[in-house]
Amino acid sequence: MKTSPDETQIVRWLDGEMDAAESAAFEKEVAAHPERRAEMESMKKLGATLRASVPASREVPHADFFNSQIQVRIAQEEMDAERSRPRSKAGVFSWLRIPMFATAAALIAIAGLLWMQRGSGSGSVILSSYVPNPGVQARTFHDDEANATVIILDGLAEYPADKSIAGHRVHHSETDTAVATTTLFSEDGGVLLVLAKDARNQPRVLSHSPRG
Amino acid sequence: MQQSDMPPSTAPSDGEVPDLELVKRCQAGDTRAFDALVTKYRGRVYCMTYHLIQNETEAWDLAQEAFIKAWRGIGSFKSDATFFTWLYRITHNVCYDWLRKKKIQGDGEFDDSRTEHVAAAGAEAVPRAVRSPSEQIGGAELKARIDEAIARLSPDHRQAILLKEIEGLRYHEIAEVMQTSIGTVMSRLFYARKKLQELLKDTYENVT
Repeated sequence: MKTSPDETQIVRWLDGEMDAAESAAFEKEVAAHPERRAEMESMKKLGATLRASVPASREVPHADFFNSQIQVRIAQEEMDAERSRPRSKAGVFSWLRIPMFATAAALIAIAGLLWMQRGSGSGSVILSSYVPNPGVQARTFHDDEANATVIILDGLAEYPADKSIAGHRVHHSETDTAVATTTLFSEDGGVLLVLAKDARNQPRVLSHSPRG
Repeated sequence: MQQSDMPPSTAPSDGEVPDLELVKRCQAGDTRAFDALVTKYRGRVYCMTYHLIQNETEAWDLAQEAFIKAWRGIGSFKSDATFFTWLYRITHNVCYDWLRKKKIQGDGEFDDSRTEHVAAAGAEAVPRAVRSPSEQIGGAELKARIDEAIARLSPDHRQAILLKEIEGLRYHEIAEVMQTSIGTVMSRLFYARKKLQELLKDTYENVT
């Protein structure tokens, strides 16, 4: 899109991009056009109003969680990259690839770390899930209308139908930066989980309530 | 008007590690250094995604996506640009990809008349500056009208005016973020101002 010289000059004048001599010459030129001069002054006032009224930054909701989710994703991507590299020997965690252990580990993690929080509506949203076995991918879907949450565990061996999966309903969380732990609380104020990060920035459960 | 090469709030304050130092650590694989950059810029990146998307929940996700992409690409970051401008460019691309997908899905995302706002729980705007008591009178209403008018701009006009007036970027930096020419940036600024003038004239002309 091309601009006419007038538009370009007005923009440069408004943004202080003219030097003193150029600015003076331009102002002298527009002095003969009161309407244009009034429009320019109005735009200048508009800019001042915007700068005074519009925030340059917004507080990020659940800011600590925002950061930790990024760290978790980075760690996951690095683990995925690591996994895709050819290996000659089985790692020390190769037992996790055994279906029975993989199933148990994934379900324990899902049961322990489903991080649910009440949304503004009637339902809940899942903010995070964590699966320790890199061979299993957890995906979740929530349907407000049905008030139901579906958890899909890709890569998981068949799991007996009579086993149940339970998540925690987290009412709020508190982070203690001194000891780098996050405590999740239930609606009645009880402690559900105490989490920390391990050396790979993965969440680690330090303690949990009996029902977890 | 900001005339320096770096927006004021991106310059390190006393005791703060400079961005380039943190970037070098990130390039060596230090995720804690990246966490420090996320903490420093999350509010501004989230503000930008919110202004472009007009939905706080989506803006939260897209801001995260921008940081993830920044981490993936940090190895290619060169110090001839500021980290802030580079991060904004990634954020711009993430948001425009999202807007394109929404447009393809027929949601009318580029419709200038769109004024929907969806607030996330716990969301709160951080005031840019403390205002005098006289200015605070009617300030909330003024801000609401300005937000509504900004939301009615096209994404291109909206981003150009915010990067200029709120972030204080230079023309060449805006052009870099939006991946366009300086001439186009100036054109977008002119028409964004004309549109806002038309939408807000009665409002801001009465502000004392």
